[in-house]
This record gives sequence, structure tokens and C-alpha cells, in this order.
Amino acid sequence: MSISKTTDLIDQLSQLERSVNEFSFEELSADEAKELKNSFNTFRSCLESRIFAPNQNRDSPKKESPMVANKQVVSQKEFITHVSHEIRTPLNSIIGFANLLKEERLTTSQQKKVEAIQFASNTLLKLINEVLDYSKISSGNTCFESLDFKLHGLINDVMFLCEILLVDSKVELIIDIDESVPQVIKGDPSKLSQIILNLVGNSIKFVNRGFIKLGVSVKEVNENNYVLEFSVSDTGIGISKEKINSIFERYSQADNDTYIKYGGTGLGLSITKEIIEKQNGEIEISSVVGKGTMVSFTLPFSKGDLNNLPLEKTNNFDIKEAKKLLEGTDIMVFEDNLMNQHLILEQLTKWGCNVYTNVTLKKGLNILEAKKVDLILMDLKMPNLNGFEVSKVIRSNQNPLISNTPIVAFSADFTEQDGKDCESIGINDFLLKPYTLNDLMSIIIRNKRENTPANEFGSILQKQMIEPKETTVIDLNSLLNDCFGELEMLNELIKLFKTNVLEFMGNVRIHLKTDNLAEIAFSAHKLKASFAMLKAKGMHNLIVELEANCKANDTDKVKELYELFLNDYPLLENNLNIDLEKLNKK
Amino acid sequence: MGKRVLLADDDQLLASLLNFRLKKGGYEVHHSSNGKEVKEYLKTEMPDIIVSDIMMPYFSGIELIDFVRNELKSNVPIIIISSAGNEQNVLSAFELGANDFITKPVSPTELLVRVAREINKK
Repeated sequence: MSISKTTDLIDQLSQLERSVNEFSFEELSADEAKELKNSFNTFRSCLESRIFAPNQNRDSPKKESPMVANKQVVSQKEFITHVSHEIRTPLNSIIGFANLLKEERLTTSQQKKVEAIQFASNTLLKLINEVLDYSKISSGNTCFESLDFKLHGLINDVMFLCEILLVDSKVELIIDIDESVPQVIKGDPSKLSQIILNLVGNSIKFVNRGFIKLGVSVKEVNENNYVLEFSVSDTGIGISKEKINSIFERYSQADNDTYIKYGGTGLGLSITKEIIEKQNGEIEISSVVGKGTMVSFTLPFSKGDLNNLPLEKTNNFDIKEAKKLLEGTDIMVFEDNLMNQHLILEQLTKWGCNVYTNVTLKKGLNILEAKKVDLILMDLKMPNLNGFEVSKVIRSNQNPLISNTPIVAFSADFTEQDGKDCESIGINDFLLKPYTLNDLMSIIIRNKRENTPANEFGSILQKQMIEPKETTVIDLNSLLNDCFGELEMLNELIKLFKTNVLEFMGNVRIHLKTDNLAEIAFSAHKLKASFAMLKAKGMHNLIVELEANCKANDTDKVKELYELFLNDYPLLENNLNIDLEKLNKK
Repeated sequence: MGKRVLLADDDQLLASLLNFRLKKGGYEVHHSSNGKEVKEYLKTEMPDIIVSDIMMPYFSGIELIDFVRNELKSNVPIIIISSAGNEQNVLSAFELGANDFITKPVSPTELLVRVAREINKK
């Protein structure tokens, strides 16, 4: 697999990420929505083709030159691991921020859109999880899950996503589920939604007006099993008799013109057929040129049990429940990706946890000596800090209260060797990125230290730690006064403040690479006013010093001050979140 | 109808707060976060007062004063927002015809007083 394809895929991913991040619910024009739809489509088909056909060339063979083939220095397994890491990291942001967005006050229509983003990103997540099971897939033994799930809910979710894909079109989506179809069944929900998404997605490409109808009925039923029949019919361009026989072959589209006009990899239908047949189902297609196409398939399911349904779905995450279980838990986080650091801080703080984020081992150990920490979340693969090493140091501490602190590792990829290393070091559990809020909450509850009295952790250092560091102090009262006590306004301003900080960090990251100190000075100049508004004197002074050193052209000093900033800002933001929460509760 | 304020500031945080307070103070506010936009706006509409940050991307507050006074030939009051350590810029601003200035961190209450004073002078 060529390096250039990796770059392609990553490009598409960041495009998707951008689209999702920049998604403005109020001002969504048809064009923007179309772009989102296109990015998503390209991404999905690209990903699918990688997952289901890792041994074959992805594009039409003519595109692959011998030169490129020679450059295939990376073994496929490494490649898959690499790609899955690259995918997981941005996907983590998509899922995380969509989850956060969901918790804000939204209109019903905004809520639906966020749910669609959540659904889409969770679908992607599932696909990517399968990439990790690479060996199974390449030997043709794709795993199927057997879970109880609500069929109607799944169909509504999928069709809602399809509706989003249908932007600007005179096509109606119809769902027709026969009354005899059971509500709860047992099978592989993610594969089923993939099949429906593929088929309806395909129809969307070829239908300009009329309708696309998804029908579900019971074909056979006995004591413990059902065979359900699904059909996707449309009023699209249709497929000619000559072409219809080869439609399920890989890379086959009805003809070259179709490819040019409608795009796609031509893999969708063959993959769909594969998934259906591996589950002992059957698929059939019939079509009349100019009238439309109908694809129907059957799949066996077991009878479902309402009591076995998963307790919560990601999109119905209950923040109150989380709070009940997690309020007051002290968590230390080693994570040096700022975006993710920001995200996890926000998530955990919302659940009432006290969070300490770290980028250095030394600071982490200082806090561990002084504070009761119930759990450590450890990113294993930080560019500047090795999570394995940090864990080793913690485990070998002489104070048993420190060395026993539960550690949960998280990483965007996880090799077998990592698993062994974790075990030998004594890391308690691990969480694969991107994770859902449910994943995060349950892993914390499973592993956190139980009810150890705080005073056992007391030490002389504690007193020092209680004195907060000057650079982390803020005071919201004067800003609240400026807002005439209007909390809504204050919350809005805090959001803008955080955006300003993120922007600053982005600018510094870009311009430090090229030693463009003038740009950094400008950015620092702008940011210091924001800290002044929050009465964050210590941090304000730090930024003033950073600006001055930019002007004095002292790159080393600027880097040093920025390190300090990176170290202390998360603590400042943590204090900010806690204060804001208190004000909001009043 | 309330007096119209043109607020030119690329810092969304400060601008939101000032916007909020000016509106509460009965003003009609047009906010713009970059100099180019400000220029376009002024070609078609003249507010009762301009409040502008001195450092903005594309088109600084200094250029803005020059543009208003020398190209548009307008005497609309202009209040400049500056930061400490920018005294030289403030002097240039006054030379070009700024009416007043306020230093960051801006107290919204103080700004409102200054805005009202400039408008009443007219």
C-alpha cells in the first residue's frame, strides 16, 4: 500500500474533521452540507475498501504505477496500525466535541444534527475497530457480534443519517416496517446498519427524484429465530440486464460513464454481499432501466431479550448518573495532545471530578505525594514523555499509597506488545481512543481507588500544594459584574476566552517551528488582554514576559515560557471550570 | 433610536463584552473584527461614534483614523483601545485625529462613560 494513499486518507480525514468542526448549525447552506456529505462519503468508501480488501489495490489498477509499488516499504500490518492511529486521533476529537456539544443547550433541530454526527462518527469508530482485528479480516474470518438491540431504533438512526446525506434533493425517504417485525432482536447491529447505509447510500447516488423506500418484514419465524427480509427500492436510473449480473463484483460499476458521473469505489455492493452471505443471508437485485432498482436481502436473527439491552446508548448519556458515581473523584491525566487534554479536562470536570493534568513526570509525582489521587489516566504514546516509563516510576515509588494508584492506559493504537508491557508494569486497564463518554465513565468506575480516606495521603507537601500557584489563579467576580451578573453572558465569554487560548496555542505551535517570533508576539499581545479580563495576574504576567522575549528575539526563553504556560494553563482552566460551575449552581 | 456605535475589535472576547454592555446602554452596535470589513462598512454608513482597537489584522486602528479623517472627511468621534506599552501608537492616533483612548484591560463602565461624553460633545 503506498504512502501516497496514506496521505490521501489522512487528507480526507482532516477535511472531514474540519467540516464537522466548522459545522455551523444556524448558517448551514446546501453547499456546505453537500461538502460534508461528500467528505463523509469519500471517507467511508475509502475506509471500507481498506478494511475489507487489505490485499488489493484500492484504485482502478491503471493508477498504480510500478514506481509507487516499489515504494511499498511499510509492511501492511504496520501500515494498518499507522493509519488506524492517524484516524483515531482526529476521530477522538470529533466524537469528544460532539459529545460535549450534546450537553449544551440546543434546539431540537440542532440536537438532531449533533446526534447525526455522533452516529456517523460512532459508525466510523466501529469500522476502524475492525481494522485492528486485521489478522482476522485478512484471513476472511470477519467477526460478527451477537447482541440484543432495538431494530426500530437502529433503522431510525440510519435513516436519519441518510436524510442528512440527501441534502438538496427531491427525494423522499420512506420507512415501511411491517407490524409483525419484532422490536428487539439479537444479531450484529453494526453490520446491519452498515448494510442498510451502503444500500440506501447507493440509492441516494443514483436517484434524483421520487423516493427511496426501506421495507422490513418477517420472512420466516420459528421458536428462537427470525429470518427478516429487508428491501431497498428506489426510483433511480436503474441498471441494464447485461450489467446486473456483474454488479456484485469488486470494482464493478454498471459502466465507466456511471463511474465518471457518480464516483465511488465500486466496492460497496460487493462488500455488502460479503457481509450478508457470511451471516447466512441472501441478497438479490432487480432493476428496470429508467424506472428504478430494488435490492432485497434476508438475514437471520435470534429472538432478542429486552433485559439484555445495553443500559445506555452513547447519545442518551446521563450526566446526572455520571455525577452521582464520580463526583469528587481525583484523577490525574498524563496527556500531551492539547486538544485531547482540553477535551478530557472538560469531560471529567463536568462529572465533578478533580482533575490534574500533567505534561511532566516531576510535577505529577509532586501532586501524588501531596494529594489523594484515585486514578491515573496515562497516554502511552506521548511524543515527549513515555507513558510506560512514567508508569514504571510510579509503580516503584516507596510510598505504597503512591505506587498502588490505579493506572489506566489510553492510546490511539494498541499492539500486542503494548498489552504485554502494560501487564508487566502493572497498568490496570486500558482504553482505546477514540472512546465514548460511556467507555470513559465505566473504565474510571471499574478502576478507581475505593474510599481511601484523604488524610492518609497527608504530608508536609500538602500544605504547599494547597497554596495555589500564582499562574493558575483567576477571579471571575469582576467579569461577572461587568456582565451585570448575567450568567449566560459570562458563560458565553468564558467560551470565547477558551477559544482565544486555543487560537494562541495553535499560532505558537505553527510559528515556533519557523521561529517567527513577530507572529507569536502579536498573538501573545492579543491574549494577555483575555487573561487580564479574568484577573489571572500570574498568567497575564507570564504572557507579557513571553511577548517581551519575542521582541527581544530570545527563542530559547520564549520556548521555556511557553512550556511553563502549557504546564500551568490546564490547571488555570480547571480552576476556571470549577468556579464557573459553582456560579452556575448558585 | 439609539446612537450607532461601530465597534472594531478582533478580540471576540472583549468585543462580546463591550457589545453586550453598549447594547444594555441603549446603543445600536455594529461589530466588525477586521479592518477591511470596517472600511467597506464606513463607505456606506457613518455611525455616531467609532470604538476601535489599535492593533487589528489587515488594517490597523491608525490606518482607520487616517481613512476616516482624510479620505471620508468625517469628524465622527473615534475612541481608540490600546494596550499598555503602546504609547507611541496612541500619540500617532491623536496626531491623526483620534478623540480619546482607553487602555486594556478595558473597564466597560469606563468605556461607556467615554462614549457618552464624546457623543454629547458633538
